Amino acid sequence: MSGRKLMAMALVLITVCLIPFLASAQEKLIRIGAMYPMTGRSGLYGMDSVAAAEMAIDEINSKGGVAGYKIDIVFTDSKSKPAYAVRVAERYITEDKVHFLFGVVSSGVGLAVTEISKQNKVIFVGTDHAATELTLDNFQPYYFRVSNNTFQSMTAGAMYLKELQKEKPWKTISYIGPDYAYGHSQLEEIQYNLKRFGVDFQMVSKYLPKLYEPDYTSYITSIIKDKPDVLVSGFWGGDTVAFIKQAKAYGLFEKMLYFHPDAGGNYELMSAMEGEMPAGLVLSARHHNNWPDTELNRKYVAEFKRRTGRYPTYAAEGAYAGIYAIAKAVEKVGTPDNTEALIKALEGLQIKLPEDPEGFTSFIDPQTHQIVQMQAIGISEPNDKFPPAKMMLGKWKIYKAEELLPPKELIEKKMKK
Amino acid sequence: MVSSSKYKFGLLWSVGFVAFALVPVLMTSRYQMNLASHILIWGLFAVSFNMLWGVTGMLSFGQALYFGIGAYSIGLFVTHAGKSWYLTAIPIGLVTAAVLSFLLGLLVIRVSGVYFTMLTLAFAQLAWQVTFKWYDFTGGDDGIQGIIPPGILSNKMIYYYFILVIVFLSVWFLKRLAYSPFGLILRCVQQNPNRVRFIGRSVKMNQLRIYVISSVFAALAGALMAGVDNSIHTDMLFWTTSGEVILMSVLGGINQFFGPFIGAVILILLEDLIGAKTEFWPIFLGTIIMIFVIVFPKGVVGEIRHLKHRLRATDEAGGRHGTHASA
Amino acid sequence: MDVYFIVTQSISGFTMATLLFLVASGLTLIFGVGNIFNFAHGSFYMLGAYFGYQLVSVWKVNFWIALVAAGAGAGLVGAAAEFLFLRRIYGRAQEGGFQILLTYCLILIFDDLVKLIWGTEYKSISKPPGFEGALRFGDISIPIYNFAIIVIGLVVVLAAWWILSKTRPGRIARASAVDREMLGSLGVNVPLTLTIVFGLATALGGMTGALAAPLRSVTPGAGIEVIIDSLIVVVLGGMGNFWGAWLGAVLLGEVNAFAVAYVSEWSTLFSYLVMVVTLIFKPEGLFAPTRLRKV
Repeated sequence: MSGRKLMAMALVLITVCLIPFLASAQEKLIRIGAMYPMTGRSGLYGMDSVAAAEMAIDEINSKGGVAGYKIDIVFTDSKSKPAYAVRVAERYITEDKVHFLFGVVSSGVGLAVTEISKQNKVIFVGTDHAATELTLDNFQPYYFRVSNNTFQSMTAGAMYLKELQKEKPWKTISYIGPDYAYGHSQLEEIQYNLKRFGVDFQMVSKYLPKLYEPDYTSYITSIIKDKPDVLVSGFWGGDTVAFIKQAKAYGLFEKMLYFHPDAGGNYELMSAMEGEMPAGLVLSARHHNNWPDTELNRKYVAEFKRRTGRYPTYAAEGAYAGIYAIAKAVEKVGTPDNTEALIKALEGLQIKLPEDPEGFTSFIDPQTHQIVQMQAIGISEPNDKFPPAKMMLGKWKIYKAEELLPPKELIEKKMKK
Repeated sequence: MVSSSKYKFGLLWSVGFVAFALVPVLMTSRYQMNLASHILIWGLFAVSFNMLWGVTGMLSFGQALYFGIGAYSIGLFVTHAGKSWYLTAIPIGLVTAAVLSFLLGLLVIRVSGVYFTMLTLAFAQLAWQVTFKWYDFTGGDDGIQGIIPPGILSNKMIYYYFILVIVFLSVWFLKRLAYSPFGLILRCVQQNPNRVRFIGRSVKMNQLRIYVISSVFAALAGALMAGVDNSIHTDMLFWTTSGEVILMSVLGGINQFFGPFIGAVILILLEDLIGAKTEFWPIFLGTIIMIFVIVFPKGVVGEIRHLKHRLRATDEAGGRHGTHASA
Repeated sequence: MDVYFIVTQSISGFTMATLLFLVASGLTLIFGVGNIFNFAHGSFYMLGAYFGYQLVSVWKVNFWIALVAAGAGAGLVGAAAEFLFLRRIYGRAQEGGFQILLTYCLILIFDDLVKLIWGTEYKSISKPPGFEGALRFGDISIPIYNFAIIVIGLVVVLAAWWILSKTRPGRIARASAVDREMLGSLGVNVPLTLTIVFGLATALGGMTGALAAPLRSVTPGAGIEVIIDSLIVVVLGGMGNFWGAWLGAVLLGEVNAFAVAYVSEWSTLFSYLVMVVTLIFKPEGLFAPTRLRKV
């Protein structure tokens, strides 16, 4: 029997795997340690982020890199598990000696990793996860986020609803979203912002089904009974698809306005649902493939499609932005080794991104380290320019970036904690 | 001859202790010490779990509940009562685990076999669900961060030795338990409950006792874990965590005392190695574990022992090793 | 009290219950009849959904034919898995633990296979033509497709009950759960029986995956969610008890439907509580006649 042989093989295997760590890097490299979910339900966002990050790195390296450095990145599946991601982050910091931690989609993972970033004084560039706490309550100086948080989406959402009230008066709202921090935050934030803007509204009911709930039937019939004018939705991914498909048959979309400002307009939904996607839903996403119609956005989307064979979901643009943010910061400072200087460079950094319309450039707010971007909310309509999707968003309403940040008093209050 | 087995155990225990103690000295990066911390803690968790399964035949799919209690006890005290409560929270967590496991144990030992497994699963999932939903108190899916051990323990290396000592003392205690008359009865409970009753012992009482003991050590493992990553998460209470210790026990060998510990070493190293190399780790990990389960039913430790028996010229195996179940 | 609403919610609960039952039916078959804990049951559900997607959305096969084919496909994969892997652990001490592990490996492997073949994007299947609308009775509407599902659920429950209790193959299958060795010495080819039962159970799971797909999204990782829900239904109904599973699903569906409307905060806890209570007080199943308890 091969009990002993097995042990021997294992030892050899382990040794062989350790060899790469013995070889030291000769080139001047900016080392980035990225974690993304590559399996399971969030796998799509992770894989798109990986593709977009690689795309950005290839673009930069082919132009000679920055300040004489090339960018080097390692990806590991975070499995959406905070305990595992923390180990990976440890490995990145102490063995691979990365200059930057990068990524994550799940806010739970983000919160655990930002703790590691703080303790080890290694910059963590967050490219997706939207929990507002990371740039408020759990703020720490080594963390930067290059994609919107839910507060920004909900502020834009509240503004939209306020304007809508003038054209088509509405009074009652219902909310449905997944029963965890993400779903809870959106509920709080939409109410907070509606009140802040002095909107007269009444929340008649709220529903928080469990995450990945497969069957929304009883929620749908209950919402229909409540007869709200507007249904605010906080789902993401497959849950949105399931909800919309199930609700369609009950005629929910004819009875009320479906409003989904954070992740409702994500491309993967329209791609999955094709012609089944109803028209007239008011949705938004953190990046749209068809807005703004700038050269940069068109090039970005086309190149992504060329490389991967599919159009990107919003998560990709976050990763793309993250790489360019790092590159710009290193260019300014001249080296990736001076962490404190890099932090200063990132604070207030201006960076032109695919999602920036003409006349606007995204920038990183120095106080909260949160990127400030415009938000565009649109309505679903037929558009087959991005197959397999048959519907995309249009009739855009645009919201100014600066107006989407939390008010000063709120920032002060939350950051003091 | 018990003394020879004790000698062997003592040797293995000492060698293991020294090996782990040398990690911070020999390591080339702090990551290796971090990995070793995880291995030690999961090793303790798995060994305590196996006292229920391998020794007593109770397949509990809900030990994550107690693991979580140990961790959340610290997390909740530190968050709501203040950092000074860190060390006090540990015994509070252990006592909570003891009391809860006693109460739940009374309910859970009423059923056996697959029903027992599912009931333990149900209780653990219930606890997970409550922790997940009670966002204001527990932080829900965000987990709790910033859990830093106080005083000198905030130094990672000192904390590592802290874990090392506690784990090895616990393992020593559990081994003594497994080879005591109590342990013998537990094995009899697994193999022939009726016989146990005939000799005037209570099956249920002994099952309850080991359930409580196993759960308290699971809680201890959880409490130690909170300080390693400085954060805890509801995942610790989820059924997949209960599943991991089952997996570790099988990999190492459920009929060997150190089996689950070795299983923890193997699984954690495998997960890390494969995860670092490829995004397709599930298919590799799944295949490797499948091979283990099918080809090495006694687990790594069990197969090695079996091999040693086969190679031995004289068969002294019968008497000395009569306490572990035959293949 | 709004009567219309009560009626609507009851129907909603019933619809949810049927899908719950169908998903759990494969598990109750394999668990109760074969005495095998197939933790990967959800993976076969997921496979069925992907097969359905490939057949309907890519190859444009007729929906109902695709449904059966998807189920058959999942069944074949299941039978193969049983033959190649599960067989090797029968008869081991602590077999239950090994089954859990082996089937957990299947979950990992299938998840990656599905990702390799179809990628990570969300896929979807449209409802078959003619089934997109809803039947309306005044204020109450029932989607036609949901109706079809309810009918299919009833057919499955009746067929399963009839086959298992009234036909010889069915009785043999049930006997294999009680005493495999005895059955073998009676001249029955037990390994073949188990493979067939496993294949049928996974076929049921796969067919349900394809059936439910037009209402949900087809995505990797879809398997893990359904396993716990299925387990709860199987516990409520008693293992191998199809009528019990159906009734258990109805109970859960209805309670959830009303909990959602009135005490939505705690509706998710209810399922676990019911499972706990059943296991403590009536482990053979809420709806089972008190017969021999399996230890």
